Amino acid sequence: MTTRHPRVTALAAAALVAAAGLAGCSGGAGGTGAGTGIGARQADAPGPDARPVDGGTIVYAHQQEPACVFGGWIEQAYLSTQVLDNLVSLDDDGTVVPWLAQSWSASDDGLTWTFDLRPGVEFTDGTPVDAEAVAFNVGYWLDGGNSTAQVWLAGYVESAEAVDDTTVSVHLSRPYPRFAETVAQGYFGIQSQHALETRTPQENCEAPIGSGAFVVGRWDRGESIHLTRNDDYASPAANDPNQGPAHVDAVDWRFVSDPTTRVDSLRAGEVDAVYDVPAVEWADLGAEGYDEQLYVTPGRPQQLAFNTAQGPFADERVRKAFAYAVDREPLVETIGQGVIPYEGNGGVSRATPGYSEEAAATYTHDLPRAERLLDEAGWSTVDDDGYRTKDGERLSVVLPYNSGTIVTADGASILQGIQQQVKAAGFELDLVPVPPSGFFGGAYSQPEERDIAAGYWTSVTAGILYVNWRVGTDDDPNFNNSAFWDDPELQSIIEQANSTADVAAQDALYEQAQVYIADHALSIGLYDRISTLAVSPRLVGVRQERSQGGPVFHDARFVD
Amino acid sequence: MTLASSTDPRQLSLPTPSGGAGGPAVPDRASSWPRLVRRVVRRLAGAAVVLWGAATVAFLAQVALPGDRATVIFNIRAGQPIERTPEELAAINAQYGLADPVVVQYWRYLTGLLRGDLGSSYQQFRPVTDVIGEQVGSTLTLTLAAIALAWVIMVAWVTLTAGRGPRVSALGAAVDTTVAGLPHYWLGIVLLLVFALRLGLVPVISGTSPLGLLLPALTLAIPLAGFMGQATRTEFETALQQPFVVTARLRGQSDLGVRLRHVLRHSALPAVTLSGWALGATISGAVVVESVFSRAGIGRVLVTAVNSQDLPIVTGVVVLIAALYVVANLVVDAVHVILDPRATTS
Amino acid sequence: MSPTVPAPATSAAAGRAAASSPDTSGPEIAGPDTAAGRSVAPSTVLDREAGENSGGTVAGGPGTPSPGGPRRRFLSPRTTPPAGRRRPTRWGVVAASAAALFFAVALVWPAALSPRDPLALDLTAALQAPGLAHWFGTDEAGRDLFARVVWGTRDSLAIGFGATLVSMTTALVLGSLAALAPRWLAAAVDRLIEVLLAFPTLLLALLLVAVIGPSAVSSMIAVGIGTAPGYARMIRGQVLSVRRSGYVEAAVALGHPRRSVLARHVVPNAVRPLVAVVALSIGQSIVWASSLSFLGLGVAPPSSEWGALLEAGRTYVTHGWWLTVIPGLVIAALALTTTTLGKALQDSLERGER
Repeated sequence: MTTRHPRVTALAAAALVAAAGLAGCSGGAGGTGAGTGIGARQADAPGPDARPVDGGTIVYAHQQEPACVFGGWIEQAYLSTQVLDNLVSLDDDGTVVPWLAQSWSASDDGLTWTFDLRPGVEFTDGTPVDAEAVAFNVGYWLDGGNSTAQVWLAGYVESAEAVDDTTVSVHLSRPYPRFAETVAQGYFGIQSQHALETRTPQENCEAPIGSGAFVVGRWDRGESIHLTRNDDYASPAANDPNQGPAHVDAVDWRFVSDPTTRVDSLRAGEVDAVYDVPAVEWADLGAEGYDEQLYVTPGRPQQLAFNTAQGPFADERVRKAFAYAVDREPLVETIGQGVIPYEGNGGVSRATPGYSEEAAATYTHDLPRAERLLDEAGWSTVDDDGYRTKDGERLSVVLPYNSGTIVTADGASILQGIQQQVKAAGFELDLVPVPPSGFFGGAYSQPEERDIAAGYWTSVTAGILYVNWRVGTDDDPNFNNSAFWDDPELQSIIEQANSTADVAAQDALYEQAQVYIADHALSIGLYDRISTLAVSPRLVGVRQERSQGGPVFHDARFVD
Repeated sequence: MTLASSTDPRQLSLPTPSGGAGGPAVPDRASSWPRLVRRVVRRLAGAAVVLWGAATVAFLAQVALPGDRATVIFNIRAGQPIERTPEELAAINAQYGLADPVVVQYWRYLTGLLRGDLGSSYQQFRPVTDVIGEQVGSTLTLTLAAIALAWVIMVAWVTLTAGRGPRVSALGAAVDTTVAGLPHYWLGIVLLLVFALRLGLVPVISGTSPLGLLLPALTLAIPLAGFMGQATRTEFETALQQPFVVTARLRGQSDLGVRLRHVLRHSALPAVTLSGWALGATISGAVVVESVFSRAGIGRVLVTAVNSQDLPIVTGVVVLIAALYVVANLVVDAVHVILDPRATTS
Repeated sequence: MSPTVPAPATSAAAGRAAASSPDTSGPEIAGPDTAAGRSVAPSTVLDREAGENSGGTVAGGPGTPSPGGPRRRFLSPRTTPPAGRRRPTRWGVVAASAAALFFAVALVWPAALSPRDPLALDLTAALQAPGLAHWFGTDEAGRDLFARVVWGTRDSLAIGFGATLVSMTTALVLGSLAALAPRWLAAAVDRLIEVLLAFPTLLLALLLVAVIGPSAVSSMIAVGIGTAPGYARMIRGQVLSVRRSGYVEAAVALGHPRRSVLARHVVPNAVRPLVAVVALSIGQSIVWASSLSFLGLGVAPPSSEWGALLEAGRTYVTHGWWLTVIPGLVIAALALTTTTLGKALQDSLERGER
């Protein structure tokens, strides 16, 4: 054999070709999108004479496919809101506006809510949207028909009944002045009673029958779900610019889980709108002419809750040390490319009414202070690897996180940054990405199994605090109390707030609760969850729904 | 490993029959029919046993899922990872029969398989057969396209570079080896980056268009071509030395003509054999490739199912592919016998 | 798929069906290009054994070796390696050795190659292309990719070694049982091997991961068990052929106790050819394991394991192509290195034996 090193040559050649193909266009030298990434090009903008037209099918790429349309997961809320109407909706500034209910009121003692429904609305199966159907839905939620709806209503709503054809009466055990805001969320979509009673749970889950702007058509699992226009749509919300049926014929709601592919298909013109734009693409897409909408969701932000029941974090000083050891803001700003907002508050996000700035500013990066606190707490010796020890035991903490769904890739990078930062103070942070199944199997749900929990929970009001901080009892455990905090003082502040009618007073109480959470370092915020949408200039009128984010296509039209 | 076998007279005999279903490798045409039938039956029985074994392995995997299966199922559906009360779990236990003894569950599973019922997905409220059935077409299309492309590439490459002098053929062989070892995900990403994103020649989301099928199929085809090429190349070069080649050239046939018409036929057999194996391996590779190109198919279903520990789907896919594999090899064997009459019964 | 290894050496010999499972490093000890031209004992032995003993195997299953030997000898008797045989060239071996040295240093003393902490953040240098300051570029948090690749060698090779260990152990146990145990047990184990062979490697690995859950250890086990059946089949063939060989028969006839015959003749002779296969297997296991990681079912971030690097880099593929392309190249390079060295080793072992 007289050839020299053919194999190596071949591999080297392959590498060179690949590199040449890529290097010539490698943009993005900095991280903030000043350069353009591979594949960037100007969006196909409509010409100057273009007019909005009716008809057509919107192709929309969403990131996560749920098991079925209606259920307790936010991904289901995004879908079900297309086909179901709620009693009320939210305006851009958070005001509650009429939808299926024309008006509503609470009794003086706050224990009875009365909703007046608009007459003449029908479900797509022909049955009327009347008080009886609505009351049935409330009972359905209370019985667990939607796990998230149930969690919101538990402890407050007892029953509902139809007073007459268009009047529903909801009975509460305790006052809840923000009840109307709460039922604006997608989990509280009204379904046809007839459908719920006569069809199987599977059918109702896959294709719920409502009175909404679209109807569930074909569902190609793993690929897309087809929503067709409800031509008889006559019940848009009061703040909806389009007061009739949808302009487009259908929505092809596709599932594309890889963020890069989603964005690139938008660029290629294969889809008209995408959800969950990765931070690194945000600037480019804007520059290329796409309409970008960013909505900071109210509710619990992406935060870290410490296990206060057992382990090193049972000691408040250790929790505070952790909070001082991390330098969250630059971390989030860099990895989030300036798109993801930093959030210091561990209770609620900045978009939530009653947000406490004081709670958000409680902990800033202060490494010496962190070290002092650890010394005080007894973790004063340092082992060879640089981690703190106490009585021979290393300061080792476990943070399992739900990778892929609850914590995105950006989030995972941020957590890795946290891991590095706390190492300087002597914490050994063990990150454990858990696939959804593990989480859903109850893995890491016990206090012995984890020291920190990460997660967010969208909500319209600060009432989410009750869901997250209610003390669990033996009869009525609260698996959503991820810090295992069992001091009733916090709960009583929140319960008081929940039942306070005056907005200012209520906000003050909620803020008090957040300050309490911060003072005791029960939970620290990382970043606010954002709901991002990027829309092609060919499509106008797409907006985001205000209770949880997520696209609304009812008013959308193509421009030609 | 120097053993006496090199002088074993049996080794100098004609090639053994395909599949080696037992018996010495000696052809015997005289009494071939009963033997052929017996062989076929034995082979089919063997295949059935393997399929049963595969189904059992799959079932064992389902049972081995750690944690309480009912909780897993409930939580997946609810979208919340928390503990559940026994009342909530009772319905799930009833539906899936999780409270029954394992043997009963096994029996139910096997009888279900025979009926074509692969069980019910934990995550989706539907039978596994529905879930897989919707996606299998797309994956099969991709697989078959990949194998076809691999053949084309391999034939072209080997024909052009085999036996043309030490440098060229060494380069050809080197390329074969290198390319055969390229991981699918890497090749896929590079192709995607260069051809779809940078040059915009093909769509990014492959969808159902033929052009969209090109890159994923290429990603699978290139390593496969390298692999088949290695086997074919040797045979090709050997065949090039054969007398009939010289004869053909003397008769005035062009080099390319000789290669394509005569030599190829003689050397393609290993690649045919490989194609049977290739079906299984390519479907397996399709799992990765579908992920890279965001293409709908069994791969994506499988990865999602593994992630959510939706075992009925995972085992359903695995059993299905094992079955396909078994069938494909049976077919390849048959083709072998047809193509090479020397490979008769034993 | 990544079948870098021993290829389907010439199943041209009509007869045999499926080629040596390229899926796993097939039963052919011969290297990928070694076509049957090898005409050395191993392949022929395997053929015979497969022919005689596989009775009822599934369509020659994926593990059936190809009988290159007889045909080749029939057509073109040679004593020197025929033109078709690709012995690794000297330069190829040199290059592979250099690469192996690099990997070895990265494994044992990563600090020598890259003093940087692979996980150290540098928020001011995020997503920089490869250049002088950062040879392989940086990721979204400013971590240096070269440092991560170097320090990740340990994790990746550990998985490779671990998987190979699992694979070989399983294969040894299964293969030996299938060859040496009492008839009923041997037949049962043989069936088990066939059943496992009916699953493509990646699928078997995925099945295991679905049950155990993803992690470094589960990757090791999954890949190990996924690649074991092919080796088991090969070992079975080896052991059988050795057991029936002349000198073993002689030893038995001479009255040596069975156990010592096993220990002193059968086992060493059966195992010796595997040495080269082990090298090949390491590279292959790493490729499989990184495929698992790529799908998000392998090692967890922020591990610097190469597959994990690939997965982490996917989001940034348009703004940081180096994050996926380079680790992929490194993996391919390692696989190529082990293949080349494995074949060279095989070669020298056989030359030594002739």
